[in-house]
Amino acid sequence: MSDTPLTPREADDALAAEYVLGVLDASERAEVAARIKREPIFAARVLDWEDRLAGLNDGFAEARAPKLLPKIEARLFPKAAPTRRFGVVGWLSGGLVAAALALVSITVLAPPRPAPVAVLATADNRLAYRVTHFGGSLQVTRVAGVPAVAGQVHELWVIAPGASPVSLGLLEDRPLVVSYPVPPAGFVLAVSIEPEGGSPTGAPTGPVILTAEIGAT
Amino acid sequence: MSDDPIADLIAKCAAADRAAFRTLYRDSSAKLMGVLLRMLKERAEAEDALQEVYTRVWLRADRYDPAKGRGMTWLIAIARNLAIDRLRARPEGTSDDGLDTVQDSAPRAETRLVAQGEARRMSDCFATLDPDKADAVKGAYLNGLSYLDLAARHAVPLNTMRTWLRRSLLKLKECLDQ
Repeated sequence: MSDTPLTPREADDALAAEYVLGVLDASERAEVAARIKREPIFAARVLDWEDRLAGLNDGFAEARAPKLLPKIEARLFPKAAPTRRFGVVGWLSGGLVAAALALVSITVLAPPRPAPVAVLATADNRLAYRVTHFGGSLQVTRVAGVPAVAGQVHELWVIAPGASPVSLGLLEDRPLVVSYPVPPAGFVLAVSIEPEGGSPTGAPTGPVILTAEIGAT
Repeated sequence: MSDDPIADLIAKCAAADRAAFRTLYRDSSAKLMGVLLRMLKERAEAEDALQEVYTRVWLRADRYDPAKGRGMTWLIAIARNLAIDRLRARPEGTSDDGLDTVQDSAPRAETRLVAQGEARRMSDCFATLDPDKADAVKGAYLNGLSYLDLAARHAVPLNTMRTWLRRSLLKLKECLDQ
């Protein structure tokens, strides 16, 4: 860029375009993903580029998709009875964090209104998040402990059976409200420690400190 | 109901309508499979990615805003992002025959592009770029090529490639936003 340098606005726009195109390497991409999470204006530029380049989507020919729907549904809609409680612990990669995990039954804490669908708490209850469901939303409130130290943040994940974690958002001082029409029984919620702004990769990168299965009470 | 049936189905998914989810899979999975197969090149990985894409679609359906774009655009963005993340996680130097696919699919893309006004504007704007640079943008978008791949293909240093491409993208924006 030795000739006329780009203005900051142009540079941001070019970066958003590079992200949408997908030309960046893994670490640059992760940095941009983190910016998208914390800067709504930048996120809007990325959306604009998705829309702008959508005309190229005609270049993707259709290909017959295998009948994967039953597998996807089995993942997303487990049968009513909670399936293997530890079924997803595999991705937590074992020993490091397992000791810190506790599936705390809701009876441990004073029953709030409405009844929580899950409680994410450490064994000693020094850090606890209560998850309630009402009005078509999950609300996640810290009921014990403090937020992550400066420069870090607690990030909430939902994991459908057999699937990779999907971020539901960052747990900061305000309760986190996630639109969720029906609490997905049998899914696992997890909290990991991530750099400020949230996981840069879209998957948990820091230690998973809490997990709980929805409706496993 | 809107003129965007895919968008309507996504909205129903956000309201936990499983029948709508099945219809959405029926109506969009061939396109998304096409995206994943083209970018990832390996069928087994594309199938695995397709399951992941629809899992994400169901879980994130409430974040889709029809005011910000068509339903299919949103679905393809999810599929492309997943494919690109997987490509970039592969060890360097494993991306292969991108060039061939760029070339053999380009005419088909071109003829289909003529069909719609919006797409025609897109190809008009691409025509304002140097052919090399237009190819680089399309190759990256459709085949998931990285700067590293593009620099190798066009035999220029990576920084040169990056400067080129950034300028071209801004030029493209100026044309498309008119």
